[in-house]
Amino acid sequence: MVSTQTTASADSAVSRGWQLPPNAKPILVAIAIAILVFFLAYLRTDGSSLILTQALVTGLMAGGVYGLVALGLTLIFGVLHVINFAQGALVTLGMYVTYVVANDLGWNPYLTLFISIPLLFAFGALVQKIMINRSMGEEHANTLLLTLALGLLIENALLLTFGGNPQSVRTGQETVYNIFGAVATQSRLIAFGGALILALLLFFMLQRTSIGTAIRAVASNPTGARLVGVNTSRIYVITFAIGAACAGAAGTLVAPIVSITPVAGEVFNITAFVIVVLGGLGKVLGALFGGLIVGLAEQFGGILFPDQSNLLGVFIVFVLILFLRPQGLFSSNS
Amino acid sequence: MRTSQLAVGLAGLALVLAACSSGTDTENDAAGETATESAEEASTEEAPAESIDVIKIGSIHPLTGGLAGDGLQMDAGAKLAADDINAAGGIMCLDGAQLEILSADSTGTPEVGQSEAERLIQEGAIALVGPYQSAVASNMATVAERNGVPFVIDVAVSDDILDQGYTNTFRIQPNASAMGSQGALFLKELTDAEGIEVSKIAMLHEQSAFGTSVYEAFNKAAAGYGWTVEPVISYDAFGVTDLTTEMTTVKAAKPDVIVVTGYYGDGVLATEAISAVNPGAKLIYGIAQGAFDNPSYPGDVAGAGEGFFNVNYHLDVTNPTTLDIANRFETSYGEPMKTSATHSYEAVRVIANALEQSCSGDPIALRDAIAATDLESILATVGNIQFDETGENVNGSPIVMQVQDDAVVQVYPANIAEADPRFP
Repeated sequence: MVSTQTTASADSAVSRGWQLPPNAKPILVAIAIAILVFFLAYLRTDGSSLILTQALVTGLMAGGVYGLVALGLTLIFGVLHVINFAQGALVTLGMYVTYVVANDLGWNPYLTLFISIPLLFAFGALVQKIMINRSMGEEHANTLLLTLALGLLIENALLLTFGGNPQSVRTGQETVYNIFGAVATQSRLIAFGGALILALLLFFMLQRTSIGTAIRAVASNPTGARLVGVNTSRIYVITFAIGAACAGAAGTLVAPIVSITPVAGEVFNITAFVIVVLGGLGKVLGALFGGLIVGLAEQFGGILFPDQSNLLGVFIVFVLILFLRPQGLFSSNS
Repeated sequence: MRTSQLAVGLAGLALVLAACSSGTDTENDAAGETATESAEEASTEEAPAESIDVIKIGSIHPLTGGLAGDGLQMDAGAKLAADDINAAGGIMCLDGAQLEILSADSTGTPEVGQSEAERLIQEGAIALVGPYQSAVASNMATVAERNGVPFVIDVAVSDDILDQGYTNTFRIQPNASAMGSQGALFLKELTDAEGIEVSKIAMLHEQSAFGTSVYEAFNKAAAGYGWTVEPVISYDAFGVTDLTTEMTTVKAAKPDVIVVTGYYGDGVLATEAISAVNPGAKLIYGIAQGAFDNPSYPGDVAGAGEGFFNVNYHLDVTNPTTLDIANRFETSYGEPMKTSATHSYEAVRVIANALEQSCSGDPIALRDAIAATDLESILATVGNIQFDETGENVNGSPIVMQVQDDAVVQVYPANIAEADPRFP
């Protein structure tokens, strides 16, 4: 009697503590794949733990920034149902804002966050208000073409203004930090940390503030939100602006790392789309974790398939996710 | 559900991009305006040479996209050459006929380069220059061949382009084999002279036809000197954001020399990775590396590239004519002249020189005259520009440069050296 009770309570404890979602299998498969990849990479590098540590560190650090870019994208899609193809161009815009302010006014590149974030926020708000709001609710392709056009416009306006030569934001000699034998430059660490902090700030803003609640309300049920007095088109403007500000912030954070050209943000565009699908459309934390996974996929893909594009690993992850869990890792509904 | 919407969206994007790339032929208004003019001219082409007063040359480069920085400079270089020749009285034996450059944007894609080449020939171009990328050059060469119009490649490195037995395509810069084998030879000579022992070399190269063909040529020559090239790591130059892991792999192999081949942005990333990882090689040696000999490179990497070598084609800074051209270019264009732009200048010079010999607006006569070219070069080479039967410039040669005290200087061979090479 006693023993059966204990078993029953243990069972219920298990089911409470380990509430496996109905389709948990794909996640277990994903974890198994990750372990397998790590093992293969270990063999591939002849057991060099240093290379693996470096791949982990580099992958996570790049992933932080990818996550921030994808966060803006996923927010815009989750709330507006707009696929923003201009996200990469907005990252580039952020880079050039930093380039101009840092080089012409002599600011520390990271302080230019205080300019690039509000500027891109305003730009995003303007774009949504005068361009995209007008074609909302119609054909999906309309807003898609609008954002694509916006991206081309931004890229070519930058080309016209700054020319195509690579520019750089000088931060002087790099300090290098040692992480378990792997190395990371100061600017990459700052980019990673900055991206994480901004993403978490945004997450709490969405969870804790009234504007965040309104955004979530519009995302889950626009009609219902309108019924309780939420001005949806204003929320749309704010959401697009936040998405653009995320891109701008990411642009500023990577400006000291990359060579700045009018198409420099393009690579973030591609990864961002993969991350959004990976993390689940509209999932803020999903985007952040998806970013880290994609960053790692890029590095380990590079180790496993040395003569291929580093995006190969990313697209393998993309295809696997579409097969195993098309709604994304962080979505409960299908 | 939403994923399927996104998938539809992505498919839509692919369609739109395809539409964009095939629609670029309306881009160049200036060329459009002259279309009627060229139609008239086409009808008079058979008439005696004296009636020609404008000679059109098509210039196709990547004017937008990731390589626009070079493409725009190269187009300006071609135009400066035409302006210089026109100011000096045009083509003398055609009664001072003026050169006109028809510019077009390859957008960096082979198909667009090909269709633009066809369009410019339709509009009356009797010669083509371009295009900075090997893949684009291959497609343009087929157009040149089909239409019987000479094509002078200013920059495009891959051997394959001229391996097809084309008779209308000529190349000014040294090809990939020359880059790789000369690079290995110079490395051998430099390290032998200095008594530096080399046995193991790591190579990091971008993965397109350019990087791969340079690697293959270098590897072949290295085997002849008894060097092991290992590890060999390739990467996608336009998708890469970090090379630290790659450099860690290099470090684990403990190479004596690290050879790097690629473009600008990835060259800067490689430099960052080298200074972070500190792989401990005796020399960092670029071959056809687009960053290591760029004037803005030492500043962009904040001194981290000090002492790096690079084997590449280069404008001859010891030649006063070249310096004069470069100075005037900088004044009018607002940026220091890149070596790629001097190659475009040179390509137009070659065509103008051949026009003086052929005394005709006929592309076939022009082709024959280009094949017989013997012209003093403004580039740092070993002799005059002369083409062999495949169309390669027999005297095209790379030279060795080094970053010294935050400036790029020519260091080897001795006849073009500005300073002695420095070793750690």
